Amino acid sequence: MRKVFNLFGATAMAASLCSGGLAGVARAQDVPPGDAANGKRLYLATCFVCHGRSGQGGAMNGPAPILAKTAMPFDGFKAQLRQPINEMPAYSEAVMSDQQIADVYAFLQTLPGPLPTKDMAIFKD
Amino acid sequence: MSRRRPPHDPNRRKFLKSATLAGAAAVTRPAAASAQSVAPRANLKAAAPGPIQIALESSPPEKDPQTQTTSGGDFMVDVLKTLDIDYLAMNCASSFRGLHEAVINYGKNVKPEILTCNHEEIAVAMGHGYAKMEGKPLAMICHGVVGLQHATMAMYNAWCDRVPVYCIGGNILEANKRGNSTAEWVHSAVDIAAGVRDYTKWDDQPASLQHFAESAVRAYKIATTPPMGPVLLSLDAELQENPIKDAETLHIPKLSKVVPPQADSGAIAEVARLLVNAEAPLIVVDRMARTQAGMDRLVELAELLQCAVMDRFGRTNFPSRHPLNQTFRRNAVVGQADVILAIEMNDHWAALNAFHDRIVRTSQPLYKAGTKIISLGLRDMYLKANYQDFGRFSDIDMSVAGDGEATLPALIEAVKKLIDGGRKAAYEARGKRYAAARFAMLEQAKSDATIGWDSTPITTGRMCAEVYAQIKDEDWSLVGNTIGNTWPMRLWNIDKIHRWNGGSGGAGVGYNAPASLGAALANKRHGRLTVTFNGDGDLLYVPSTLWTAAHHRIPLLYIVQNNRAYHQEYMYLQAMANRHARGINNAHIGTTITDPNVDFATVARGFGVYGEGPITDPKELAPALKRAIAVVKRGEPALIDVVTDPR
Ligand code: HEC
Ligand SMILES: Cc1ncc(C[n+]2csc(CCOP(=O)(O)OP(=O)(O)O)c2C)c(N)n1
Ligand SMILES: [Mg+2]
Repeated sequence: MRKVFNLFGATAMAASLCSGGLAGVARAQDVPPGDAANGKRLYLATCFVCHGRSGQGGAMNGPAPILAKTAMPFDGFKAQLRQPINEMPAYSEAVMSDQQIADVYAFLQTLPGPLPTKDMAIFKD
Repeated sequence: MSRRRPPHDPNRRKFLKSATLAGAAAVTRPAAASAQSVAPRANLKAAAPGPIQIALESSPPEKDPQTQTTSGGDFMVDVLKTLDIDYLAMNCASSFRGLHEAVINYGKNVKPEILTCNHEEIAVAMGHGYAKMEGKPLAMICHGVVGLQHATMAMYNAWCDRVPVYCIGGNILEANKRGNSTAEWVHSAVDIAAGVRDYTKWDDQPASLQHFAESAVRAYKIATTPPMGPVLLSLDAELQENPIKDAETLHIPKLSKVVPPQADSGAIAEVARLLVNAEAPLIVVDRMARTQAGMDRLVELAELLQCAVMDRFGRTNFPSRHPLNQTFRRNAVVGQADVILAIEMNDHWAALNAFHDRIVRTSQPLYKAGTKIISLGLRDMYLKANYQDFGRFSDIDMSVAGDGEATLPALIEAVKKLIDGGRKAAYEARGKRYAAARFAMLEQAKSDATIGWDSTPITTGRMCAEVYAQIKDEDWSLVGNTIGNTWPMRLWNIDKIHRWNGGSGGAGVGYNAPASLGAALANKRHGRLTVTFNGDGDLLYVPSTLWTAAHHRIPLLYIVQNNRAYHQEYMYLQAMANRHARGINNAHIGTTITDPNVDFATVARGFGVYGEGPITDPKELAPALKRAIAVVKRGEPALIDVVTDPR
């Protein structure tokens, strides 16, 4: 079944992240080595437009999911870039090589991701 | 109303003279009758000149009169006063100088009071935001040709959003009265409304003052009858400027507002039966609540049924933190539903279907086969063909015509009658599941908002969390938002109708800044703390809105979400480049607003508005917000320029 995303589907998105995580009882050796510094350069040239500079996600027609510390296995990640199923535009080989995808993937793992909110006074209401 | 007729009418002699000429002309061909020439012509043919006429004709010609004691504009002001219109937003122009002068001097600039705007689009959009907050329209007036051309997009937004704005345009109808400055020719039209008729509910061009009175009241009534919308009156300059004739015959009709229609009682009973018997009923709602009572009734209905509610946020229809609010679980709740009641939807199809913006555009329903879909609302009762704001045609099992808010009380009663004790346990169990999901969503939203917490540019999650922390203990009102910013709806406690008043309707950018100001003007008298998130692109269409804010001392906090881009289009452009495999380096061309960066704080100060920024360090946000809010609480506008990540 095609995944379905929409303006107010934020939780659907979170759910899809989780399922990515499940599939990816990812062993470290499955991930090709990537150059996080080069990945950062690439990510900040293009991916940030929809997914935010901190990988916090964004909104195009609907939400573009969170990518910081993505739990997707590398293969799924690459497949999403090559043949995205919904609204994300595809990154063809000519635009982004497998190695560059590995670099971006490596960069995403260096991003801090969410903070624990429990002790953040700003969220006490 | 009664008005004294001037004891001596200086135009009388001229009047007869032209009547004679017209009468002579009428012998050979029927005159293109002006109102003045019609009546006497018949007399002249019928009878020889009497003694009075002879006396008049033989006395020396009078000079042009220098002054007059009444004007049609005064009467127009009297009419507007009966409509309880508080403001007249305008950009001044000679085609309505007569009415303008009557408003300020004869009407003493109260009801309506003039709002000076630097662009007609601002005037209309202020009316748009104001009407949604105040529950009644204000009026705007413009040059009927060029001013109206400026006003059009804002009128289209109001039309799409089903909001009344009372628009007026000046015109000069009689060609022989247009002066030899080209302006009066190029600023006149046979039919000024032609350009906007597709997105106004009604228009007219009154030919006399009595005609004006009737059309002015009719226009108000039509604009404010659901489904509401903008209206336009075209006012002849001479009608505004010239002395009143026949004052004693003028009559201002009574305004009786239409009571919005409740749906058919049989249909209500059937809807209630379907909802009560459903396993997973869902209410989807968009532009339903006009008043707090509408919101409260939706809560009552949802709680009776313990059903999911999805708010499309065309207005605040349902409290954001209510346990039954499942807005951000669209795929789940639409997918599970066996009965969907959609109330006052803007785009019914878009709410219930998935669409994929790909090379081959595809879509599919989010609901399962067999789900009963009911629509309740008045939108179908007034549509026009040209502009496609009605959205895709939907599969609907039962279409009920009735005003959503007005129908809720009867629907609640019908549901109450059908709910029996046997259902209570199942209802409660389902309500608990929704409550747990709502709680989890809030916790998830908080966690998501912390990603990139300390980053520069500032994330929109951090920005919205910081703003909420500063306003949440006040009687706050968010009157505008940036594109795709769902943080307030996910994080904030939107618990009253005035907390949020919906978007532009027509997605015509340049709405947000002036519409927010209009809403803030309405909020001013209620003492609310008004804030708006404003896209940098949006503000750049209509920056002089800030001057109007300062000039009229309208308290409003502008938070510019300055992503230094028309970012929506930046994303689309990158998507296009990807389709063509043309790299990742060029999508900023024509979509970003850098080199130079716009310094919005300086822009604000230039218009006399308190301005701070650019704020790039998230730690500086809270102190800047505190200072700006202090200014707003003093009764003035303030702006802070927050340099943000895209979304
Ligand atoms: C034009 C907007 C846009 C751009 C640019 C973009 N994405 Fe996406 N991305 C999306 C959207 C929207 C989705 C949601 C799924 C879909 O529609 O395909 C998505 C989904 C994803 C997902 C799936 C995440 C999940 O949890 O399901 C990954 C991984 C991803 N994008 C990575 C990237 C990377 C890496 C780049 C840069 C090379 C990038 N994206 C550029 C819009 C974009
Ligand atoms: C009058 C008008 N012109 C152009 C557009 C196309 N458009 C849609 S979103 C957008 C960007 C608006 O910029 P901004 O307010 O800064 O919001 P951002 O996308 O950056 O969040 C534009 C130009 C429009 N919708 N309306
Ligand atoms: Mg922008």
